[in-house]
Amino acid sequence: MMLARVADSLYWIGRYVERAEHMCRLSDVMLNATLDRTDAAAQVTRIVQASVGDPENDHVMTPYQMARSLALNREDAGSITTSLARARENARQVRDQITTETWERLNLIYLRVTGPGATKAFEDGSSNFLNEIIADLHMFKGAADATMSHGEGWGFLLLGMYLERAQLIARLLKVCFADDKQPPVTDHSALTSLLRMSCALEPYLRRYTADIQPKLILEFLMFDEDFPRSLRFTTSRIAEHLSGLSGYVDHSSHSGPERLAGRLKARLQYADVDNLQIADASPMVGTVLDECAAIHSAIYDTFVAYSLEMRLPA
Amino acid sequence: MGYRVAIAGRSNADSTPLPYDEMLTAEGVVRPHYSALDQRVAALGDQELADRQRTLERFFLLQGITFTVYGGESSTERIIPTDLLPRIIPAEEWAVVEAGLTQRLRALNMFLADIYGAQQILMDGVVPRELVLSAPSYRREMQNLFVPHKAYANVCGSDLIRQPDGAFAVLEDNLRVPSGVSYMLANREASKRTFPGTFRLAGVRAIDRYPDMLLSTLKGMAADWRPNPQVVVLTPGVYNSAYYEHAYLARLMGAPLVEGRDLVVHDNMVYMRTTTGLRRIDVIYRRVDDDFIDPLTFRRDSSLGVAGLFNAYRAGNVVICNAPGTGVADDKAVYAYVPEIIKYYLGEDAILPNIETYLCREPAQLSHVLANLDKLVVKAVGASGGYGMLIGPHASAKERSDFAEAIKADPANYIAQPTIQLSTAPCLIDGAIDARHVDLRPFILSGEKIVVTPGALTRVALKKGSLVVNSSQGGGSKDTWILGAEEPRP
Repeated sequence: MMLARVADSLYWIGRYVERAEHMCRLSDVMLNATLDRTDAAAQVTRIVQASVGDPENDHVMTPYQMARSLALNREDAGSITTSLARARENARQVRDQITTETWERLNLIYLRVTGPGATKAFEDGSSNFLNEIIADLHMFKGAADATMSHGEGWGFLLLGMYLERAQLIARLLKVCFADDKQPPVTDHSALTSLLRMSCALEPYLRRYTADIQPKLILEFLMFDEDFPRSLRFTTSRIAEHLSGLSGYVDHSSHSGPERLAGRLKARLQYADVDNLQIADASPMVGTVLDECAAIHSAIYDTFVAYSLEMRLPA
Repeated sequence: MGYRVAIAGRSNADSTPLPYDEMLTAEGVVRPHYSALDQRVAALGDQELADRQRTLERFFLLQGITFTVYGGESSTERIIPTDLLPRIIPAEEWAVVEAGLTQRLRALNMFLADIYGAQQILMDGVVPRELVLSAPSYRREMQNLFVPHKAYANVCGSDLIRQPDGAFAVLEDNLRVPSGVSYMLANREASKRTFPGTFRLAGVRAIDRYPDMLLSTLKGMAADWRPNPQVVVLTPGVYNSAYYEHAYLARLMGAPLVEGRDLVVHDNMVYMRTTTGLRRIDVIYRRVDDDFIDPLTFRRDSSLGVAGLFNAYRAGNVVICNAPGTGVADDKAVYAYVPEIIKYYLGEDAILPNIETYLCREPAQLSHVLANLDKLVVKAVGASGGYGMLIGPHASAKERSDFAEAIKADPANYIAQPTIQLSTAPCLIDGAIDARHVDLRPFILSGEKIVVTPGALTRVALKKGSLVVNSSQGGGSKDTWILGAEEPRP
């Protein structure tokens, strides 16, 4: 049993934290890739721009300006600073529900990215700046894992994190392999950058060796059973946490999100991976994005914004 | 030592007595209970103290013990200024404070039960009827309403000051939603880190049981009719300046921290919206003012409260702590009558004296006040937090004449007191130890019984010479060590 508002806040802490980490990785990979003036640099810039969400951006920015704005611009609803500030604001609202150790990690990151030294730190070494945030976010997740009770609140935190992750990776795949206006990415260094953005380069190499092919990347990021950012892995965690959470709800009212997540998990688990083609990316990634959106609204209908008439005591 | 020179070098131009200093006697000798700290501070040196002060501020910042300052486009968070040198109170002095506070709250709870019941004290003419019934904090809605144990003010934070002769006096009773207890607890954690050795040897009384004492007080308010009552903390929300404290107490009590929008009233029962549906609530420790708890009963424009809450309370299905309407007993005009109130209900003399108070509603006292504005502190009855007051000796002639007009226009709204002298205590200011004025806010719980927490928040006026300790006006705080009665550990 926990307050619906609290569950909502924990869910959004998970989402914002995951989003901030992903955006750090996108910025860092982009800045790294655009050090060389190659075709790949332009492609990587396009991938990041499209993933961040404004492909029709009017004012043309250099990759550095883009990364700087993505990192520090508080006006931008999608920036890393905004995500961290919102995660922390949510944490402040449920300060009584998270452990002091967990709170301190998040508060520390927030104080650093919003502090007076943040702009200078970014300008002195963007890669360092971004990677420190990633490392700190890992510490936040570690502290939460090690000190919070793995009960209902924990379930909502991780649900938010995995749902956000599934959507971010699906979006990245859509931009790379299923964009209506662009051919699928084939350039070797652009593909390597894609793997880096998904934090997948080393696990991929171990699985497939240095044979970097679009089809194998799609296979890995969609269907790998063990890689924590693959769509199969994340949807399977979503289903797991939802079935854990539904244990707390009356059985009449929880079928929504749990059923949707179970179905999506099964789709990815039993897909025909052997005959996978790049052309399959579009319908499959589309399904994942639609289903994730449906799961999100079902979570709200079931746990947070349910109608009172249904729940009043008889 | 600079501090000794500063204290010994004080002079009084007029005839007012010098303020009492917590550490030094008038002759500049260190009081025995301060000697260990004095030696430790001297051994550490200014540089090390400044380092420890920074560490302490860092600790507050990381914990999020901050309040938000709103201004222009951006809002910033600041830590409550906190001073690392503790204020020390010996056991025998505390025993008087404890007895005095217990007596005072017992009498005030009896007064509230009477005012909202038979009104015997008004019929006997001890307190003027009109003064009580016309006070803005009097709640007609509370009349004849059952309050368990007749405990109206479950949490009380009184403001005490130490007069030049060293005796404590009560400046104000806070019976509505007193705050500051989380700073008391945070200051204690910080001072344990700053002076661990001195702390251990001094034999300081522990205050870490406050949250569970509070929880059992709250549970005790409903235990007779609900075996394991569900307690919640009601906060106005994250934008309230005391939000940190609300979350802190909720966390340490293990009680949900709710906002008005989390609660629903149905059939005169109060429920909270949880992930698993609605769940019944028995006790609400509310940190929302009377005016805002229920738009149906009190202010209609309030969005912080819960519609129908007061009716559920009236029906006896939920307990609101503190009870609505307790403010009538800490009204600044009623304050003047507290010694008589104690005498009336308990037949005892007040252990802790009041500050002499003139009521402008009485014509004779009004003319005295107007004739002596340059010597008096005048306060508006309804205001708090250091607002709406005139400090006569520090005000300009223009300010005094403006205030005189305001008093004449509405005399019943003003009281006046002689300029009080707050005691001074050593504080670390800009890297050096200097004297600043302090007051004392202990916290008292009342339910089935009355318990005085053996600790307090010492509030500090950080500006040199200033007597205003309110955090909204540049005040800070420091830890307060209440020493145990037994011999300190070797």
